[in-house]
Amino acid sequence: MLLSPGERMRRRLAELAGRGVLFGITSVAALAVLAIIFFIARDALPFFTQVGAREFFLSTEWYPAHQPPRFGAAAIFAGSLLVTATAVLLAVPLGLFAALCMSDVLPFGVRQVLKPVIEMLAAIPSVVYGFFALTVVAPLMQNGGSWLPGQFEIASGVNALTASLILGVMALPTIVSVSEDALQAAGRELREGSYALGATRAETLFKVVIPASVSGLFSAVLLGVMRAMGETMVVWMASGNAAQIPRPWYNLLQPVRTLTATIAGDMGEADQMTGSAHYHVLFAMGLCLLLVSFACNLAGEWIVARQRKRLRGG
Amino acid sequence: MNQNVVMSVVLGISVVSAHAQGKLVMDGSTTVGPIAKAFAETYMRQNPGVNITVSESGSGNGAKALLNGTCDIANLSRHLKESEKKAMSEKGVKPVAHVVAFDALPVIVHPSNRVKGLTVDQIRDIYTGKITNWKEIGGGDQRIVVISRDTNSGTFETFKELVLGNDSKIVASAEYTGSNGGVRQRVQMTKGAIGYAGLGFVDRSVKALEVNGVVPSAESVIAKQYPISRELYMFTNGEPAADSLAAKLLSMSRTEKGREIIEEIGYVPVPGK
Amino acid sequence: MRLKLRKLLDRALTTCGYLAIGGMALFLLWVLVPVFTKGFGAYVFRGTVEHRRMMVGEFGRGDLDRLRAELAEVLRVRETVYQAVAAFERELDAMPAARRKALKPAFREVREGVSVLLGPEPGAPMPALTRRLYGQTRWEKAREKADDILFEETWVYSDAGSRRVLVPRAPQFEGTALAPVFTSLERDLAAMLRPRITVYPRFLTDRSIDAHFFGGIGPEVLGTLYLSLGALLVAVPLGIVAAVYFQEYAKEGPRVAFLRSCVNTLAGVPSVVFGLFGLAFFINTLHVSPGKSVLAGALTLALLVLPTVIRASEEAIAAVPRAYKEGAMALGAGRFRTVATVILPAALPGILTGIVISMGRAAGETAPIIFTAAVSVGQMVKPSEVLSQPTPALSWNLYNLCTEHEAVDELRHVQFGMAATLVLIVLALNLAAILLRARIARRLKG
Repeated sequence: MLLSPGERMRRRLAELAGRGVLFGITSVAALAVLAIIFFIARDALPFFTQVGAREFFLSTEWYPAHQPPRFGAAAIFAGSLLVTATAVLLAVPLGLFAALCMSDVLPFGVRQVLKPVIEMLAAIPSVVYGFFALTVVAPLMQNGGSWLPGQFEIASGVNALTASLILGVMALPTIVSVSEDALQAAGRELREGSYALGATRAETLFKVVIPASVSGLFSAVLLGVMRAMGETMVVWMASGNAAQIPRPWYNLLQPVRTLTATIAGDMGEADQMTGSAHYHVLFAMGLCLLLVSFACNLAGEWIVARQRKRLRGG
Repeated sequence: MNQNVVMSVVLGISVVSAHAQGKLVMDGSTTVGPIAKAFAETYMRQNPGVNITVSESGSGNGAKALLNGTCDIANLSRHLKESEKKAMSEKGVKPVAHVVAFDALPVIVHPSNRVKGLTVDQIRDIYTGKITNWKEIGGGDQRIVVISRDTNSGTFETFKELVLGNDSKIVASAEYTGSNGGVRQRVQMTKGAIGYAGLGFVDRSVKALEVNGVVPSAESVIAKQYPISRELYMFTNGEPAADSLAAKLLSMSRTEKGREIIEEIGYVPVPGK
Repeated sequence: MRLKLRKLLDRALTTCGYLAIGGMALFLLWVLVPVFTKGFGAYVFRGTVEHRRMMVGEFGRGDLDRLRAELAEVLRVRETVYQAVAAFERELDAMPAARRKALKPAFREVREGVSVLLGPEPGAPMPALTRRLYGQTRWEKAREKADDILFEETWVYSDAGSRRVLVPRAPQFEGTALAPVFTSLERDLAAMLRPRITVYPRFLTDRSIDAHFFGGIGPEVLGTLYLSLGALLVAVPLGIVAAVYFQEYAKEGPRVAFLRSCVNTLAGVPSVVFGLFGLAFFINTLHVSPGKSVLAGALTLALLVLPTVIRASEEAIAAVPRAYKEGAMALGAGRFRTVATVILPAALPGILTGIVISMGRAAGETAPIIFTAAVSVGQMVKPSEVLSQPTPALSWNLYNLCTEHEAVDELRHVQFGMAATLVLIVLALNLAAILLRARIARRLKG
C-alpha cells in the first residue's frame, strides 16, 4: 500500500526469519522428548545385545549382583503392573463418582470451591505421600494384621497394597478433574433433553451423559494409569522392593518391586565407564516405561481424534 | 559478640577457629556416610569458610564418582571391585585406599523375637529361603520377613561374601531397602523381620543377634571374633597433597577427636596410633 | 413401583457421589493433618534450657546473662544427679566383684542416659560430636530420654506372642548411692530442663547443625528455591515461545501435529526417566558441571515442567479475544509486534498461573534430582556457586532423613517440619495460581 517495495520486502524477510527462529526454538522444546528417547535407547541397546530380551522379559530371576548375573525382569514388570492396576481399580470408580457428583449433583458454588481443592491434592509432592505411607500407613497396616484372621497375617507393612493405596489417591485428582471436564463438555442441552423426557438424574447420567463423554473419561483413566505407573518415590518407599511375583498373584499383602523403584534404587551401579549390564538394564527398563507412556499417549490422541471425527461426521 | 567468647561462656571450653577456604565433595556408601558427615560438620565448624558436601548414594556410586572425577573422596564400605580398578587404571585414576574404621554387620531382629543367636549357616538358609519360619530355629510361629540392603551397596557385597558365599541366591521374596537406616526402621516395625546393617545403625529399638555365639561389638571386631566384620574405606585419586583439604579430613580418623567421633557414632576406630 | 426403584437408584447415585467426595476429603485431611500438626511442632514446641543454650552457643542468639543465670539455677538442681553418679562410681569400685559385675552394665546405661538427657557434665571433656554437646532441647524428647533412664525395656517371650515390659531400674539400686538419681529425675525433671513454649520461626532459614540434630532447614529451602527458579528460568522462555508458535504461527499440518505429539509425550515421561536422562545427557555427555550441580538439576526439572508451561501459555493465548489481535493488525502492526505488544500482555496473567503451578511441581519433584543435584549434607549454596555446586533440597532430604539417616527416630520433628514446609510452599504456590485465575475470570467477565 503505502510502503515502498523495498520496505515491503524487508518486512517480509523479517517475518520469515522470525518465523524460522520461533520454529527452531519450538522444535528444541518439542524434540527434547526425542533426545530423551535417543539417550535412553542408546544406553539400553547394549543390554539387549549383551544379555538378550528373552531373559529380560520372560525370566523372574533378578540377581544383578550375582556371578554370573541374571537379569530376569518379569517379576518387576508384574510388580509394576500389579501396583498400577490395583491403584487404578481403586481410583477409577471413586474418581468417576466424585466427578459425576461434582458436575451434576453439587451446586455450582460448591464445585467452584472443590475444584481448586482437588488441584491442591494433586500438587502435594510424591515424597510427602511416601513419607506418609512409611510413617503412618505402614505401621497401621502392620498392626492391622493382628486382628485379621491368621490366613491374612500381614507380615510386612510395606507391600503392594500400601503402595497401591497411596498411588490410587495420587491418581485420583487427575482422574476427577479430567473426567469432570469431560462430563461438563457433554453440554447442557443433552441433559435438559433427557430430563424433559422424564428421566431421573441417574438415568440421564448413565444413558446420556456418560456415553456422550466416554472418550474424555477414557483419557482420564489413561492419565491416571500413567501417573500411577511413572511414580517413583512412593513405590520406592512403600512397596517393599522384593523382586517376586506374589503367590497367589493377587496377594497384595506381599512386597513387590516396580520398574521405577528399581531404576531409582539400583542407579548406584549405573556406571557408564565400566558399562556393566546392570547399568544398561536400568536404561532398558526406562525405555520400556517410555514406550508404554508413549503408547498411552498415542491411544489417548487416537481416541480424541476418533471422537472429533465422529462428531464432525455425525 | 564474638562467637568464641560465647562458646567458652556457655560450654566452659575454649574454641579455636581457623579461617580456611575451599570445598570438598564426598560421595558413596550410606554406611560410611555418618562418619563422613560428622567429619565434615566438625571440620566446617572449625573452618567456617569451607564447604564440604556429602552424598550417600551407595558404594557403587562412590566408586563411579571417583572414576568420573565428580568427587574428591569416595566413601566405600568395601574394597574396589576388579572391574572398577580396571576402569580406573584405563582412565588414569589412581585410587588410594584409606581405612577409616572397622565395622561389623550385626544381624538384627525385632526385639520381641526370642531367638538369641544364629549360626552363619542358619542365616544363609534364611536368606536363601530354606528356613521360612522362626519356629524352625527356636522362635515363635512367625513367618520370616527377609530384609536386605540394595545390591549396589557395599554392605550387601560384604554380607554376600561373608555369609551367603558366591553360589547362593537371595530368596525372591526378600525386601530391599536403600540404606542402613531403612533396614533398621523396617526391622523395628516388623515382628518377623531379619536384616543386617552397620554397627553404627543398631540401637535399642532392634535386637542384634549373636552370630556363631559372638556378640557384635567393638571388642569382638578388634579381636576378629565376630564373623561378619569389615573395613570401611575412603578412597582418593592419588595420595592427597599434605596441606589439602582431603588430607586434613582423612587424617581426622587417626586423631584423638576423630577416633572419638567414630566411636560415638557406633563404629570401631582403627586400633593403634 | 418402578418409579420407586428409579428414585432409589437415583438416590444411590447421589449418595455414592457424596461418599466419593467425602472419602477424598477425609483422605486429604488424614494426610495433611498429621503433616501440619506435627510439622508445626518443628516451629513451635516446648524448648528446654538446652535449646536456649544451643541457640546461644551455635547461633549467638539470645540473652547471655539471662542464660547464665538460668544455667546456674538448673545446675543447682542437677547437682544431686551428678553427685549421685560420681558417688556410685566410687562405691562400685569398692563392691564385691560379683555384685559389681551385675550392676555395672545398668550403671553405664544410666550414666550414658544422664549425659544424653542433660548434656555433658560441667568440667567433662568436650564431646567430639555436636549432637552430644547439648542435652535434650525438646521437652517431649527429654521425657522419653528420662524414661529410658528410669525404666529398662525387656521382653517376655511366650508362644502366644511376646510382650514388652518396662521394668523400673530404681529397685535394683535400692540403698546405693545411685538411688537419688531416680527420685530426683522423677521429681525435678522440669526444674532441670525448664521447658518453655518456644517459637522458632528461623527453623526455616537456619543452617542445620550436625546432620539436622539441631538448627533448621535453611540449606534445603534455599536449594529447593534455586532448583525450581532455575527450572523456570529455562522452561518459561522456551515454553512461551513454543506456545506463541503453536497458537499464532503454526499452520496445522503433519509437521506441527508431530511437534504437538512430542510435547504431549514429554508430559507423560515418568519423572525417574528424566533423572536418568539428566545424568546421561547433562552430566555425562554435555558436562555442564563436573558432577551433580544445581545447574544440572534445574535443567532436568526444566524439561519436566516444560509441557505444563507450554499448555498453560497456549490456553492463555487462545483465551485472548480475537478483537484485540484484529485491532492491532488493522492498525498496521506486524504479526510479531501484535504478539509482543498486544497478545502476550493480555495473556500474561494466564501464563503466570501456569508458571506458578510449574514452580510448585518443580519444587516437589524428587526422582529427577537424585542423580543430578541432591546431596544429603551441604552448606547453603551461594548464588555464585550454582553452576558447579550440588545442593540439599527439601524433597530429597526428606527422603534421606526419613530412611537413610542414622537417627531416623530422633529426628521425626525435623522430618515433619520439612514435609510441612514443602507442602506449604507447594500449596501456597497453587493457591496463588488459583487466586490469579479467579482474578482473570472476574476481569474477563467485566
